[in-house]
Amino acid sequence: MSDFEKKWSEACTQPQTLKAYRKYVEQWEEQIGSFLEFDPLRSLEADIPQGPLTGIPFAVKDNIAVKNYKLTCGSKMLEHLVSPYTATAVKNLQKAGAVMVGKTNLDEFGMGSSTDNSALKQTNNPWDTERVAGGSSGGSAAAVAAGLVPFALGSDTGGSVRQPASFCGVYGLKPTYGVVSRYGLTAYASSLEVIGVVARTTSMCKTVFEAMKGKDPMDHTSMDHTPSGKEVKTVGVLKIEEGALNPEVKASYDSTVERLKKAGYEIIEIELPTLEYVVPAYYTIATAEASANLARYNGIRYGHAPVYAENPTDLMRKSRHEGFGDEVKLRVLLGTYVLRSGFQDQYYVKAQKIRTAIRNDVERWYDKADILMMPVFPTPAFHHGSSDLDTFQQKQADLYTCTANLVGHPALSVPSTMENGLPVGVQFMAPPFEEDRLFQVSSVLEKEFQAPEAPGYHTDWS
Amino acid sequence: MEISDLTVTATLASLVLDEAETQKLGDEVSRMLSYFEKMSEIDVDGLEPTTHALQKENRLRDDRRLSNEAQPDELLECAPDLEDRFILIPNVL
Repeated sequence: MSDFEKKWSEACTQPQTLKAYRKYVEQWEEQIGSFLEFDPLRSLEADIPQGPLTGIPFAVKDNIAVKNYKLTCGSKMLEHLVSPYTATAVKNLQKAGAVMVGKTNLDEFGMGSSTDNSALKQTNNPWDTERVAGGSSGGSAAAVAAGLVPFALGSDTGGSVRQPASFCGVYGLKPTYGVVSRYGLTAYASSLEVIGVVARTTSMCKTVFEAMKGKDPMDHTSMDHTPSGKEVKTVGVLKIEEGALNPEVKASYDSTVERLKKAGYEIIEIELPTLEYVVPAYYTIATAEASANLARYNGIRYGHAPVYAENPTDLMRKSRHEGFGDEVKLRVLLGTYVLRSGFQDQYYVKAQKIRTAIRNDVERWYDKADILMMPVFPTPAFHHGSSDLDTFQQKQADLYTCTANLVGHPALSVPSTMENGLPVGVQFMAPPFEEDRLFQVSSVLEKEFQAPEAPGYHTDWS
Repeated sequence: MEISDLTVTATLASLVLDEAETQKLGDEVSRMLSYFEKMSEIDVDGLEPTTHALQKENRLRDDRRLSNEAQPDELLECAPDLEDRFILIPNVL
């Protein structure tokens, strides 16, 4: 264990440090509101196994099930639901000795880029509380950036781990689709989403990924991890069109290219002409799948039910009317529309064919480059209330991140620079199962620039 | 999108939209749908649709029950309305 990990392993397991740790969390929470539930004691009742993460506290996005903790998904629909089981990814981490301390805030059902779509709480960016932490795993990213936990789980359907990681100045991994079991992850867009990691260091990100991956009989789409072990020599850097990025994000991007050159990597310029179709194809597929997945919320077996309903149909409609927020309703409506008879070929099937075109476009570069580099998001963290980026623009800005979800490849958001007091990250993407290539390059860059410490950050509770 | 089209879609999705929502969500749905029109520009004839990012084959398993840590009574407790071990819903007829 590194010094950093050792310090963390003592935060909860020593009674005197636990007190100081809890106080630290409480102080930060008044400013950032990253947790929906925080209670380390509940996990400490059980014996902690010995493993690579023994004693290390972590948080879990509140759309991932942990037994005896709530599973709200940031929605009024599930505000009072307590999970009767634990997700496989969380179980694997607990077997490795990690201590689950709380559940973090998110955009309702993972739908959003700001965490402002949570029906339960507002989460602020630790670097500037007037700004969002990103989303949808904004609570997880804010908690890691503020030093409330050294790592946290998120889910990534279109960038929901990588974008908040970039906004908060920490590492964010979206693994290869299927390598981490989705059992216990509340379904939003099943063909796109994965459970990912937000972490303070590359090494922690890697340890957590290694501990939680693996084929799981409870998730039939899960797969064994079969990496090649190849060393990265060439980086394919996406050419950026004039004006596509905010100037600060562009400057940050360029400095990473310089660092890569200095570290001895061969750089080639790449282009992805399909990039302009990524967002419409992504939202067609994601909303179609969401409309089917969210059909389960009907006020009968669990979730919100109205005070009075005349008949079962009325019960379902009222539950959904009262339980879902606007963004969820919008996506369910869109998804239902694109799947209506007569429209399927025009929207859903077309989007799936474009998905194939995007994959071909990306994969052709892997003959020439071991890893690809692209931005995470065109802007740094934006202000609350969609004043500088409205919700439609936020969706359009998903283009760099949702590519990896459409093709299923792993991608990592890496802190790159500080620009006007806000962290900015860059993104790397690798062929399926090649997470290790992401960690290799990230470790090299980490020698030049570490995850920055937000004012007030510390990890010493002795 | 016509309001009647939105109402049909909402009914299919078991959603009831009040007047304000009809206006707001109707505008947003229309905006997204016109954005989706961009997909008509690209020629994808001859390409197979991708339904799963990486898996090519269908996966089958034995038809047997897998153990689950959630106990039946714990699952029942999640229901909004319960009488003994029955989940209650309003009268069907």
